Amino acid sequence: MEAEAKKILLEMKAIHKAFPGVQALSDVDFTVWEGEIHGLVGKNGAGKSTLMAILMGLQGVDSGTITIDGTRFSEMTPSEALAAGVAYVPQRINMMSALTVAENILAGDLPVNRMGFVNWREVYREAEERLDKLGLKLDVRQKVEGLGVAEQAMLAIAKALFSNAKLIILDEPTAALPRPEIDRLFGFVRSLKDRGVAFIYISHHLEEVFEICDRVTVLRNGYLVETREVKELDTAGLIRLMVGEDVKEFERERAPLAQEEPVMVVKGLTRRGHYEGIDFTVCRGEVVALSGLEGSGASALGKGLYGLERRGQGQVLVNGEVLTARSPEEALKQGVAYLPQDRYLYGLVGARPVRENITYPILGRLVRALGLIQAERERAIVERYIRELGIITPSPEQAVNLLSGGNQQKVVFAKLAATQPAVLVLHEPTQGIDVHAKLDIYRIVSELSAQGVAILIVSSEVRELLGVCDRILVMYNGTITREFRVGEPEANPAEILLAIEGGNNHVRQ
Amino acid sequence: MSASRVFQFVLDRLIWFILLLVILFFTFRVGGFLSGPNLINILLHASVLGMLTIGQTICLLSGNFDLSAEGNLSLLTVLATWLMLPYREMTLAQAGGIGWEVHPFIVIPIMLVLGTFIGYINGFLITRLKMNNFIVTLAMQLVLRGIAFVISLGAIMPGTPRAFNWLGGGRIGPIPVSVIFTLLVFILFAYILRNTRFGRELYAVGGNREAARASGFNPERLITMAYTIGGFMAAIASWMLLGRLEVSVPNLGVGMTLETVAASVIGGVALAGGAGTIWGAFSGVLLLSIIDNGLNLMAVDPFWVNGIRGLIILIALLIEAQKVRFRPQVGRAAARTEAGVSYQAVQK
Repeated sequence: MEAEAKKILLEMKAIHKAFPGVQALSDVDFTVWEGEIHGLVGKNGAGKSTLMAILMGLQGVDSGTITIDGTRFSEMTPSEALAAGVAYVPQRINMMSALTVAENILAGDLPVNRMGFVNWREVYREAEERLDKLGLKLDVRQKVEGLGVAEQAMLAIAKALFSNAKLIILDEPTAALPRPEIDRLFGFVRSLKDRGVAFIYISHHLEEVFEICDRVTVLRNGYLVETREVKELDTAGLIRLMVGEDVKEFERERAPLAQEEPVMVVKGLTRRGHYEGIDFTVCRGEVVALSGLEGSGASALGKGLYGLERRGQGQVLVNGEVLTARSPEEALKQGVAYLPQDRYLYGLVGARPVRENITYPILGRLVRALGLIQAERERAIVERYIRELGIITPSPEQAVNLLSGGNQQKVVFAKLAATQPAVLVLHEPTQGIDVHAKLDIYRIVSELSAQGVAILIVSSEVRELLGVCDRILVMYNGTITREFRVGEPEANPAEILLAIEGGNNHVRQ
Repeated sequence: MSASRVFQFVLDRLIWFILLLVILFFTFRVGGFLSGPNLINILLHASVLGMLTIGQTICLLSGNFDLSAEGNLSLLTVLATWLMLPYREMTLAQAGGIGWEVHPFIVIPIMLVLGTFIGYINGFLITRLKMNNFIVTLAMQLVLRGIAFVISLGAIMPGTPRAFNWLGGGRIGPIPVSVIFTLLVFILFAYILRNTRFGRELYAVGGNREAARASGFNPERLITMAYTIGGFMAAIASWMLLGRLEVSVPNLGVGMTLETVAASVIGGVALAGGAGTIWGAFSGVLLLSIIDNGLNLMAVDPFWVNGIRGLIILIALLIEAQKVRFRPQVGRAAARTEAGVSYQAVQK
């Protein structure tokens, strides 16, 4: 009854969208009512980003229609989306931070006097009046960079409303926010909801979805699984919907470890504000995962081990030797290699050929007197890795940015494998690549571990991790809260995701 | 070879075809353009510009500007004459030196060491103190030229010893030593960039500094190295130019910095770093030198010459920018990837 009384604001119908090698969205019907807060959840790669990109007009659709407030679109541009009242508030707010709140609010439309000069008194009065109408208390003369993160988010929402937004997409707005700030932000969002504004709320923090959302839509592998009233669900139920009953994508053959030879030993590693008292060991030939939400410390720890960030206090041993590396250059010398999460920014030099990218970290071993590179040896090594890793490229001289995502990732793997590391740290190794390439990547991981490399995967792709890892360490709020051994009954996706979300925290044995 | 392959072939070597057209144009318009003495004139100008352009190209490849080279040139030439002059007296028109008549075999190493050191200071300020490369090197240019003015009192200092002039003024048969030397240095650097670890790292750091760092390179060390080489090349250029002119003036080489940037860019060196070749820069040097010479012979009003030069640089860049359009698949794919990446970056 209640549902019928509500007015539909957004209706996305039968949306299909494919990228080369991946069906990103299949037959998605997504509806948002006026004055509701609608959660959108799903694992990485489930299709959330693509769906929102379509809604913002950043991506076209293969088929399907979008209806916003009665206006129907089959293809939408970003300006049409804005005009239709769709606004996007990213996690990192994009504003003119050196200018005042008032200037940001009235940017492009500053009140001027007859001479064409800005009428500042009017600017501040107008900005204050507009904020008052929304019940938002901010000092309009304050510079935006001086505001707290939550205040910036509220300002961004307010700004969107001033330009007549009716539907606001909030993307992980609470990551890295302390609780009182979250409360302020949620209070503001609820008050706007009561005035009829609709929100799409994207978050990996499920407890927040339960706290603030009215309904929640779950996406999985490009399909819309269900849209449900939040009241009808609990965390475990929601996780079950997210995880589904997919078949395992990959299963590594795990040879029993003959004896445990610790390769990397981490003892009491603490970096204030990131992680605390981290202890774990990765043995020769073992694959261990480190899983946690953003801000859990898992990714900072991965980067720290490679010297990309500070590591903090505590001890790390690699093959019995204390890890002293403070830069990737030194880490590589001590036998630690790292696959970055963002391969475009940190993994590859896109304009350079595959050959050069593969041998970057081992150039020191390929040079003779005067720094001359031994071309024959280089070519032999490059050809070997192209063959072994199945990199599909017309030639080793092809610029790396012309390869597909999966093949680019293999180039990064080749580059790391060529260093013959003792420890390989992989940060979200399968993000943004298609299913076939994923299988290839995990096959490569298996082979490297069979060769005796100790592998640490920083990732939350639980289902994939269960196929490839020996153990999964869960990090929450900067500490390791649980350890799962793959093969034991508790090591199932739902239980692990619950631990990642911070529920049912058992003391780690 | 299909038509499109031919088109692509021409497109990739466009600068050399333009060079050919320009030469043909001047050959028909200007009598004596292709005469031996005039060709040597062109190459003489190209050699000093070439030395400076090599330094500029190395810095640009690392993703940084070096605007200090002409200041370096000014200071080193003035300092060298000041040290080598046998008298101290100043006349109305010209300044005296320190009066010690220091031998060129001492002065030349001093120039090379000082020039290289200045380059190193640039690199140090930019990488260690995290100062902006554009401003640091621009300020350095002013400082160096300022010192040159102070030493020379702003006046001409004539007369350099023969032993010093060999590189800039000497000839082997009819060919100037500086022209042969420059060609050899271009070959040397082309080889270095292609076949050494330094060259490989230079392109990596300029192409994607953070990926280079994550690959185990030290971008700061490499950029400092690039500036140090830039300083060294400026010192060689100073030696060469002073040897040819046999006279120093503190405002020697004014405007050459922009010429070196222009030559590099005309030759396809990316201002953002990581792309371009030494031979590209070489073609840019030749083009600028030939145009200067040709306009000069055509007796074009010198007031017009600068404007025409600027126009030619603009046209070269325009063609470079439009090239992408002729490769639709690559260009569009790249643009789409970039859009995707930036959206993903926003997502994170």
